[in-house]
Amino acid sequence: MFQKGYLLNELRRRWGRTLVTALGLAVGVGLVIGIIGVSQGLSRAQNSVLSPLQAIGTDILVTRVAGATQTATGGTAGPAAGGFFGPGAGGGGAGGGQGGGGGFATLNTSDASALLAEDSNVTTDLSKLGAAGTRFTHDFFLSSTLLSFDQQAVTETASVPGVASTVAGLTQLVEHQTGTVPTQTATFQTGGETLTATVTPAPVTAAEQAGVQSCLAKNGVQFGGRDAGTTGTARQGPDRAGGGRGFGALQDCLPDRIKSYTASIRTAQRSITQAVNPPSTVINTTSYTAAGIDPANPGAGLVTTAQLVSGRWIGATAPTEVLLNQSYANQHSLAPGAQLPINGTSYTVVGLVKPTLSGSIADVYFPLGTLQGLAGKTGRITQILVKVKSASSVNAVAGEIQRRLPGATVITTQSLANQVTGSLKDAKKLTDSLGGVLGVIVVASAFVIAMLLTLSSIGKRVREIGTLRAIGWSRGRVVRQILAETVGIGLVAGILGIALGFAASAAVSAFSPTLQATAQGVATFGGSSLSGLFGQSRSVASTSTTIHLTAPVQALTLAVGVGLAVLGGLIAGGVGAARAARLSPAEALRNLA
Amino acid sequence: METVTETAGEELLDDRQPLYRLEGVDRYFRVGSAEVRAVDHVDLELYPGELVAIEGPSGSGKSTMLQLLGALDRPTRGSVVFDDRDLSKLGETELTSIRARDIGFVFQAFNLIPTLTASENVELAMVPLGGGRSERRERAAALLGQVGLSERARHLPSLLSGGEQQRVAIARAMANRPRVILADEPTGNLDSRSAEEIGAILRSLAADAGVTVIVVTHSEAVAGWASRRLAMRDGQLAERPAVAPVPEG
Repeated sequence: MFQKGYLLNELRRRWGRTLVTALGLAVGVGLVIGIIGVSQGLSRAQNSVLSPLQAIGTDILVTRVAGATQTATGGTAGPAAGGFFGPGAGGGGAGGGQGGGGGFATLNTSDASALLAEDSNVTTDLSKLGAAGTRFTHDFFLSSTLLSFDQQAVTETASVPGVASTVAGLTQLVEHQTGTVPTQTATFQTGGETLTATVTPAPVTAAEQAGVQSCLAKNGVQFGGRDAGTTGTARQGPDRAGGGRGFGALQDCLPDRIKSYTASIRTAQRSITQAVNPPSTVINTTSYTAAGIDPANPGAGLVTTAQLVSGRWIGATAPTEVLLNQSYANQHSLAPGAQLPINGTSYTVVGLVKPTLSGSIADVYFPLGTLQGLAGKTGRITQILVKVKSASSVNAVAGEIQRRLPGATVITTQSLANQVTGSLKDAKKLTDSLGGVLGVIVVASAFVIAMLLTLSSIGKRVREIGTLRAIGWSRGRVVRQILAETVGIGLVAGILGIALGFAASAAVSAFSPTLQATAQGVATFGGSSLSGLFGQSRSVASTSTTIHLTAPVQALTLAVGVGLAVLGGLIAGGVGAARAARLSPAEALRNLA
Repeated sequence: METVTETAGEELLDDRQPLYRLEGVDRYFRVGSAEVRAVDHVDLELYPGELVAIEGPSGSGKSTMLQLLGALDRPTRGSVVFDDRDLSKLGETELTSIRARDIGFVFQAFNLIPTLTASENVELAMVPLGGGRSERRERAAALLGQVGLSERARHLPSLLSGGEQQRVAIARAMANRPRVILADEPTGNLDSRSAEEIGAILRSLAADAGVTVIVVTHSEAVAGWASRRLAMRDGQLAERPAVAPVPEG
């Protein structure tokens, strides 16, 4: 084939040329390795954003988001038999319309009231927290942007053909409040007012006078006038005698109007404004997120045993055992064994986890039943994690779930991927399109450089080639030798290129450009301010994730790099060898003269 | 018995047969619009074991003549018959094969491969003939011994003097046991002492090994070694009276 010793000596003793040619190729190869690395880094970053479902062995995530419209299957999504969030209840039945908010048209009463009560326990009623001055701590469990739905939907989902397994999850935003019960009573005293009414009755009328006189007469009381002549003794006697009897009769004979005076008295209207000391107290509100998982199902769910980093899993029948997110535990200096007092019960931290399902990462993981009890959401959940039997049937299964559960948001890994925007996606697009072009340009220039250097080297070796031909080397033998040399240079270039590729990769990782990925319309869970819980925040949230780019170097990439370098050597060698082959030995030797 | 006799008889005949027979050989080159007649109608016969000097000024066509004899080039017209084969009618592969087996070259500038040691340079000429690497190495060592360079076998050409390099080149030319050695100004770059050493080796090759040695030169000293002197002028060849080798000191 070729002379190995000759080849090695050529490469070794003409090391300058070897190195320069190899470096030209190596730069190209290193850049290509770098580009591939960046591209793979972006893919990796994208996966870390896009594949949280896959990371916990889930293909489809079913949630219910306020304001979400039905996606996935589009038009076919008419309500199936009965309402979704209460299968068999027959609520909306035939009447549940195709239009508008589909799912809500089919709400049964229990679901409707559950939804109404979703976040109702958030009101802090200071009067019920104890006597003034006592310290209080209370945790409020809220559904935030993920609405709850009846746990029966899990059974419904599990019955969809193609579903391998389903796991329920409940995620809640918890507002943890601590403070002192303020003084809040005010004492009002009423009564004790004196009401004075002055009444002037109307003068007695003639008729009344006559009436009085006749009444008096009947009672033996005479008034003057007719008795004037006999006044003296007569007046004296009876007057005195009948004095007492006379006034009593007057009393009786007065008109009713005067005898009994009644009137309704209305006091003036008054507004009593009293400055009651406003209940002033400092309430500290911190929030954390809580998730309910099935302790009996540690291989699937919002967090799995695979993500357990220390401690142990929740016991199958241990309602007061909880897991903590590692980062939350670090922030609050909590470790397995710690106690978390929540609304009167003490919970024991048994393990730390590192969950990956972004958008549903919680700080504290409770047994599902416990969290349902704490949140007052017995029998209600916020997520169903579905695993399908075959990857190819994911979309079909998602469509069927959507059909059976109108109003639900059904997310597949793929639909999640399609919804992602942001600089990460832009960068990925850029590397996918420009990266390829750039790679080709870089490689092509490296090849051209190697070719020119090889041609120049061949030009300087005309005498050598002529000599080899003169001493009986055939054209083919010379060509093979030159090819072997350039391939050898290619191998050297491959090794240098790998080094450069690692350097480029390290540089990318060191500068670590920050990329943003925003997943629109993805059901998320979080949002920590109380004010945000009401009104407009009840909408589809978008998740933004910041990712630091790295450029991993994989074995395959290295193989590609070395392959490219050797190919470059072959191409350069081919061009150089063709030139050498065209050289007639006579001419080659004549040119020297 | 019969066969043996016949073979012996043929060998005797071969001795008198020319190794080269050139008839009406022209070699023209086109330089721009002009035609240069580097070799112009040459007829020539060369015999085994001859040491032939071709003399002449620069540009007289000596080197072209040598290339025609060395199967490196083909004539524009006429025939160059080497060992009963007309080189003008052979393809590149056959010419390569003839160069590999029957011809050795010695150049004015030595033309050693600079990255290879003396031994490796010699071995290179044996590569087309096949054979094992150790075999090649042994023969290279023997040949370098013959030219007095046993100590220098592992040296790179750049560490050797001009005379030593040319002796390596002669060892390389002898590597394939050629029937003819073509030397183009072999002493052109050498001092007189080195030139004399080279001359001694070439004379011994012709005289002792029966190799036909053709030396192109314009050095009177070199031509003095030749058993036959040819003069070239403007592409034409003329026989000069042979001068007996001048024995030195």
